[in-house]
Amino acid sequence: MSDILGYLSIGFGVAFSATNLLVAAIGSFLGTIVGVLPGLGPINGVAMLVPIAFAMQLPPETALILLAAVYVGAEYGGRITSILINVPGEAAAVMTTFDGYPLARQGLANVALSLSAWASFVGSTIAICGIVLLAPLLADWALAFGPAEYFVLMVFAFCALTSLLGDEPVKGILAAMIGLFIATVGVDANSGVYRYTFDLPNLADGIDFVVVVIGLFAVAEMLQMLESLLSGTSIEVPKSDRKLFNFKELMFTWWTVVRGGVTGFAIGVLPGAGASVASAVAYANEKKYTEARDPEAKFGKGDLRGLAAPESANNSAATGSFIPMLTLGVPGSGTTAVMMGALTLYNITPGPVLFEAQPQIVWGLIASLFVANVMLLLMNVPMVRLFASMLSIPPRLLVPGILAISFIGVYAINATRFDLLMVVGIGVIGYFLRKMNVPMAPMVLGVVLGDMMEQNLRRALSITNGELGILYESPVSKGLWIAAILVAFVPPLLRRIAKKKAITPSN
Amino acid sequence: MTLNDRLLGIAALIFAALITALGYDLVPPFSYEPVGPRAFPLLLALIIAICGVSLIIKGGGEVEANPPGANKRIMAMVGYLAAYAFLFQWLGFIVATTLMVTFVGRLFQATWLQAFIGGVVMSVGFFYLFDKGLDVVLPSGIIFGGLL
Repeated sequence: MSDILGYLSIGFGVAFSATNLLVAAIGSFLGTIVGVLPGLGPINGVAMLVPIAFAMQLPPETALILLAAVYVGAEYGGRITSILINVPGEAAAVMTTFDGYPLARQGLANVALSLSAWASFVGSTIAICGIVLLAPLLADWALAFGPAEYFVLMVFAFCALTSLLGDEPVKGILAAMIGLFIATVGVDANSGVYRYTFDLPNLADGIDFVVVVIGLFAVAEMLQMLESLLSGTSIEVPKSDRKLFNFKELMFTWWTVVRGGVTGFAIGVLPGAGASVASAVAYANEKKYTEARDPEAKFGKGDLRGLAAPESANNSAATGSFIPMLTLGVPGSGTTAVMMGALTLYNITPGPVLFEAQPQIVWGLIASLFVANVMLLLMNVPMVRLFASMLSIPPRLLVPGILAISFIGVYAINATRFDLLMVVGIGVIGYFLRKMNVPMAPMVLGVVLGDMMEQNLRRALSITNGELGILYESPVSKGLWIAAILVAFVPPLLRRIAKKKAITPSN
Repeated sequence: MTLNDRLLGIAALIFAALITALGYDLVPPFSYEPVGPRAFPLLLALIIAICGVSLIIKGGGEVEANPPGANKRIMAMVGYLAAYAFLFQWLGFIVATTLMVTFVGRLFQATWLQAFIGGVVMSVGFFYLFDKGLDVVLPSGIIFGGLL
């Protein structure tokens, strides 16, 4: 316990430096905007900022603080359009439309906006406390991992991500494999053999991670925007009603918010199931729980509890999803995978060792999450109108603007034309894969983990001179294999059963 | 022709075959470890092939065709972006970005004047923000090379 307090004070020391406070504020602001704009979610925002943060030569902890603030900010921002115009600003805010929009129609838009900001804040705070208590324990446990255990852990992460993400696991696996393959391009560190470089000097160091994520999350996304021509929308935030929720409403939703936060954290820690799953589960649970006890509940028609539960859960899950990345070095979601990729630009590998060796990075990040949350709460109540006005930026400026910033970022890494052309190529491929419902998150995870996964496999097999037994003999790896098989097969099975139930009418 | 899962499966098989063909000779001149550089890619190719076969067998997954005119716009944008990538360094950030913003803006139904003004303002603004303000070095190109 005293250890934790010591580390926390290091963390807040880092977070309260003037630069980092400024960066957290900028990140929160940009993140909220990214969350407000439909079609752009946390992963796009983080992907675009990674190379720019690197090119600005921000120290690693500052860069990570920026990215984390953007991530959490986007979860705050997504709710604004959900409530005001019934359009979720990002995937995890879908549930917020169910009760948020009816509330706005009843003239309670400002109450809904401020209460959901509060719920987001409490949810994140619960998750931060969870990180502080849980992360050191997990990191301690993972310190004993050998290469074989690491390899199996990564197998588990892929199983979880592909099985929980969509109902087409085959496409998830395919995406993960493509990602892992992209990571093999370049010179092989162990043998010096050039793999899949086609004798191009630009490929000798491999395909830069930034090139892949910008291609997949900026270029492909913008191509998709061309399918249907939307024009900018301007929305009014009604001025008439109360600006803030009152004490009665606060108490009325208090336990809902806490329950949502705990649910969200538990789901966020699991690899694969991110903020969107968490908000859906929290909403469904709260609905079931409340309707059984309160005959006056009006979920779907503007119940404050239906608004508070998913908002608390999605922020809590987003914050909780830092745990696998920080403690194990294996990110559990697309967005944290991009952040881990950002750290590898600095030659930093997150994981249990980082916890001991560079506490200022890990604990600085944790403390900054808290600081960013306070800032977001303070920004999000008075500045809602400003954020909502971002929606009136017409696509004719928004789309080329995003493309220009993306190109700036890619150019900043190596300053080559080759990289820029490759971004366009990967964007086109990514567009087709998206069209065919191939999920992008496993691919990003593949690119980020590919090198580590192969190295650990080879190292493990070197220990036993090629004997495969090492991959499953230790109790930890046995447990992880079982967990991987369970997570790969149980959720799809449950989904199938649920589908059958839905078809045959129940009595 | 519309996109569907069978097509994706075939593409996966071709991809797996390419990985195998190009990776089969990846043997180091001397080796001190039991697993060499080619094992992992070949393992990936195997799994990709299995995914491909299962997609072909299962079929389905028809992708809805794009609304009329969308394909043309998308192809135009790919062309503009390729040109942008190609000219970025040579023409310099300001000129290349002005062109890109103008043409992409046209795809989103801007008038020529709107699109061009947007391009000039955005490219100059971004240049000063990133290159001068944030120390992210951008190419000034052959035209403004001496001036900026």
